[in-house]
Amino acid sequence: MPPLLSIDLHNGVPAYRQIMDQIKLQIATGLLPAGAELPSTRTLSAELALNPMTVSKAYGLLERDGILERRRGQTLTVRAVSDSEAQTGRTEPLRQHLAAAAALARQLDIPPAEALRIFKAALHEKPSA
Amino acid sequence: MNTPDTSTPFAAQSLSKSYGAHTALSDVSLALPAGRVIGLLGRNGAGKSTLLNIASGFTLPSSGDALTFGTPVARLDTPQLTRLGVVQQEARLLEWMTVRQHLDFNASFYPGWDRSLESRLLESLEVDPKRKIVQLSPGERQKVGILLGVCHHPALLLLDEPMSALDPIIRARLLDALLERLRDDGCTVVISSHILNDVEKIVDWVVALDAGQLVENSPFDALQESFAEWTVTSLNGALPARFPEPFVLSQQPGERLARLRVRTSDADAAARFAATHHAQVQSRPLNLDEMFPLLTRQQKARS
Repeated sequence: MPPLLSIDLHNGVPAYRQIMDQIKLQIATGLLPAGAELPSTRTLSAELALNPMTVSKAYGLLERDGILERRRGQTLTVRAVSDSEAQTGRTEPLRQHLAAAAALARQLDIPPAEALRIFKAALHEKPSA
Repeated sequence: MNTPDTSTPFAAQSLSKSYGAHTALSDVSLALPAGRVIGLLGRNGAGKSTLLNIASGFTLPSSGDALTFGTPVARLDTPQLTRLGVVQQEARLLEWMTVRQHLDFNASFYPGWDRSLESRLLESLEVDPKRKIVQLSPGERQKVGILLGVCHHPALLLLDEPMSALDPIIRARLLDALLERLRDDGCTVVISSHILNDVEKIVDWVVALDAGQLVENSPFDALQESFAEWTVTSLNGALPARFPEPFVLSQQPGERLARLRVRTSDADAAARFAATHHAQVQSRPLNLDEMFPLLTRQQKARS
């Protein structure tokens, strides 16, 4: 089951970073459960039309960070994590998004109470079709 | 160089090349890493073609050393030359032949010529082997040049503006084909191009030349992580008319809002900068198109 990664090669974020962030997000959302196998470097680099070095760098760093592990010889799998680690994995992407939103709020001189009200309203909004 | 390293596909030490009074390359020293896709960047006349021509032994250095596969380029022998693949900007082709005849002619020089790769490339690049070379359009000539340069599985592939006349669909297929060579052969690819949007997809190393001098030789990831655009918003009072920090490469100042292009690998630089100037800093990475003018302008800024 290849993860659905989408790499934007022109946004200036190194491709290996984008691979790492997207795999982490898929683990956080449960799309990639613990034990799930990742495609080989060769397969993923062919699929994304990326340099294999880029994929192996992303995999290597995810392995170093304890997010992936090598099992049964060469296959990379998603490592099982504790509940608290899983919680951090889930909140971290949101925290990063909100940091950017907070910067924008300060730039626009929106007081914190007003900014919070907007975020709360957004949380309760029904996703539009 | 004292110890020729055969695992380094190309290395130069104090390499200079002059054509009469014109200096094409000046005191270039570098070693290209093996198994990478190296983007060779620079403005017109920066010395890119000269460097590629020296690496393949077409042109010899005026001074300094140039080693391909660890051998001085003037002494490359036949087995070493067959490990080279060269695609020139304007392919010099045998005009009276058909594409088929030209492929057969070139294949006869290479024991490792791969007919199956040849037919796959004829199909994916959409080349009709029955056409006569003389009747081909510039784009079709470029495709034939590529076919002639890669079908013998070179260990070092030197591509000089190989895509300038190709449409976006063929360019994408060419990039795929190059990545396939990289995966299957582990070759080193050096590609010079002005179509930065395309090279950005496959390069993992950047070499930049400016007016014949080497101004950059770094992993592409590291460049992407050090160049950024900062949007600086004042939190308290007016921003300075000019920011003095040496890592600020260009700036559009303003009292409340300034936009800076910076280069720093210090992760805390933005936070410190924000504190110093009582401002908020939002950082955005730069793509290769945006980096290019900053890369090729460094020499002037330094001297």
